[in-house]
Amino acid sequence: MKTETLPGDIRRGDGETVLPWWRQRKRQHIDGCTLWFCIMGAAIVGITVLALANIAMTELADPVHLLEVAASSEVLGSILLTFGAGASAVLLLILFGTPLAYVLARSRPSRFKGFVESIVDIPLILPHTVAGLLVYLLFMRRGWLGAPLSDIGIAFEDAFPGTVVAMLFVASPFFINTMREGFEKVPVHLENVARTLGAGTFTTFRTVTLPLSLRHMYNGAIFAWGRAIGEFAGVIMIAYYPFIISTLIYYSFTTDGIRTSRSIAFVVIVVSLAVFYLLRRMTRHLGRYDDRV
Amino acid sequence: MIAFDHISLSLGTFSLKDVSLTINRGDYYFIVGPSGAGKTVLLEAIAGLHRPERGRVLLRGEEITALPPEKRGIALVYQDYSLFPHMTVIDNVGYGLRMRGMGKREARGEVAGLLEEFGISHIADRYPATLSGGEQQRVALARAVAGKPDILLLDEPLSALDPVTQEKFIHDLQRLHRENGLTIVQVSHSRREAHLLATRMAVIIDGTLVDEGRADVVLNTPRSRQVASFVGIENILDGRVAANDGGHATVDVGGHAFEAVTDAAAGEEVTLCIRADDVVLGVGDGRRSSTRNTMAGMITQIVENGPVAEVKVNCGVDLTAVLTRRSGQDLHLAPGTPVTLSIKATAIHVIRG
Repeated sequence: MKTETLPGDIRRGDGETVLPWWRQRKRQHIDGCTLWFCIMGAAIVGITVLALANIAMTELADPVHLLEVAASSEVLGSILLTFGAGASAVLLLILFGTPLAYVLARSRPSRFKGFVESIVDIPLILPHTVAGLLVYLLFMRRGWLGAPLSDIGIAFEDAFPGTVVAMLFVASPFFINTMREGFEKVPVHLENVARTLGAGTFTTFRTVTLPLSLRHMYNGAIFAWGRAIGEFAGVIMIAYYPFIISTLIYYSFTTDGIRTSRSIAFVVIVVSLAVFYLLRRMTRHLGRYDDRV
Repeated sequence: MIAFDHISLSLGTFSLKDVSLTINRGDYYFIVGPSGAGKTVLLEAIAGLHRPERGRVLLRGEEITALPPEKRGIALVYQDYSLFPHMTVIDNVGYGLRMRGMGKREARGEVAGLLEEFGISHIADRYPATLSGGEQQRVALARAVAGKPDILLLDEPLSALDPVTQEKFIHDLQRLHRENGLTIVQVSHSRREAHLLATRMAVIIDGTLVDEGRADVVLNTPRSRQVASFVGIENILDGRVAANDGGHATVDVGGHAFEAVTDAAAGEEVTLCIRADDVVLGVGDGRRSSTRNTMAGMITQIVENGPVAEVKVNCGVDLTAVLTRRSGQDLHLAPGTPVTLSIKATAIHVIRG
C-alpha cells in the first residue's frame, strides 16, 4: 500500500521518500505475557522516573538558587575532582585490568582460576564501608603499601591518590568482568590464524583480539567510571578530603540542610546524564563491522 | 618435510596418543576420521598451536617441537574461514605480509595480484560480514597463501559450501597444488574429496592414528575393520579361513564360502572387505566365467543416488552392489527380483585378525 506523501517527508537523492520518525511507527502486536512483563518492569523504571521528577520539579521551581549552587567553585571543583579521579581509576583499570581479563578469558577452568575470579568479585559483595576499610588499612601511612609509597612521596590519606585507589578497588569488577566477556566472545580460531600468519602472541592480541573487544572495553570503562564516581563510603575512609561529589553532598546535608544538598545532587544528575549520553552516542558504532549498514 | 615422531598431547579430557606420521614435500595429505576423533587438534598441532607432552616434531629434518606457530611457515584455514571481521578483504589478505614486516602500501600492491588470481578483486574493500560463504572461503585461501607458506593446512574447507561452489573450490585447490607445488594437509569427512585430491592420507579415530599411507592403498586396502567402515567400504564381512591352498583361501562367512587371496592360515579369523562397485550383478543363469565367487540371492532394496543405484541383495549374507541407474532399468530390477552376484577373489581385501 502506498503511503501518502505529506509535508515533512524527506526526499532522498535517489528519489526515494523517507518518512519522518513520527510517521515511521508500526503497529506492533503485544501478547498478554509481554504486556504483564512491561507493566512489572514499569514499576522499576517508575521509581527512578518519580525520584527524578520529584527532584527536578523542586529544583526548577527555584532556578536562581540552583544556578547559584551550580556556579559555585566548590561544586564545580568537586565535580571535576570526582570525574577526574574516576577517569584515573578507569585508566589504571584499562592498563592493569585488561591483561587480567584476557588471562581469565583464555585460561581453562581450574580451582586457581575460580579462586582468582572470586578475588576479582570481592568488591561486589562487600559492604562499601568494609571495602573502604580494606583500602584504608592497606594504603594508610603505616599500611603495607601506604608506608613504602609514602616514603617516595605518594600519600593516600586525604589525598587525590587515596580517592583514586578507593574508586579503583570498588569499580574493578565492573571493568574486568565486562572486558573478560568481550575477550571470551573473540573466537580463539581468529587468534590461531593470526599466529600462523606470522603474528606473535602480543601482536595477535594488539591487532586482532583487542580491536574486536573495543566495544566491551568502552562499556566496561563506562560502567566502572559510573561506579567509581558514585562511590561514597569506600572513599571517605581514606580520603574524606578533598571532597568528591558524594562527600560534598553528605557534608552539605549534615551542615547546611536539605536545600543546598538537593541542588548539588540535581546538578550532578544533569551533568552525569549528559556525560553518559554523550559517551554512549560516541561509542554506538564501535565494534560494528558491516558496510551494509 | 614435516614429521610427527610419537607425539602425545592432552587437551582437557581429549588426548592425541602416540601419533607418528610423515608428510612429504608436494603431498596432498588427507586426515580423515569421525567427529571428535582429534583431526582438528592434529592439524593445530602441526601448525604449532599445541605443544606436545611427548614426542618430537621435525621440519626438514630439524626439530621444531618448541617452535611457535608464527615461525613455522605453516598457514591454516579453518572450516569457519575465521576472517578478521574488523578488517576489509584486502587487509585480511595482506595481514600475513604486514606481520612479516611489509609496509601497508607495499602489502596492498602485493595482495592486488592475489585478489585477481582468486577472482575477488571486486570485494577488496568489503568487510567479511557482507560476503557469501564462497567469497569468504576464497579470501581465507588467498590470505593463507599470500605469505607463501611451506605447508597449507585446511580444516574441512568444503563442508559449508553448496555443491557448485564446492566444485569450483576443488579446482582451486587442485590448481594450487599442481601449479605452486604447495604441500597441503586437509581434514575431511568426504571419501569423494579424498579420491579427487589426496595423494596420501591418515585415518584418526579417538586420538589414535589407525592407518596411514598412499591414499589409494588406505581407501582400498584398509588395515582394520574400523578403518574399512570409516573409508566407506560397503561390504564388510567377518569370517574364518576354512582352508588355504597356497594363498588361495576359502573363507566361511556364516555358512557361505567366499574365495579370496590371502596368507591367513586355516582357522584364522578374518574380515573381508568388498567394494560395492566390485560386485557384479546379473539376472538369470550366469554364464561361465573366471569369477571365483558366484552366489544367488534376492534384491531387498534399491537406493537411487543420482546416476547410480545401490542394490542390496540377500544371498544368505547381505551384500551391496552398485550399478548405473540405466543398467538397473535395462535389467528390470526391483525388490524381490532373483539375481546372481559375482565377485572376483582378487577384489576381496582380507584383513587378518
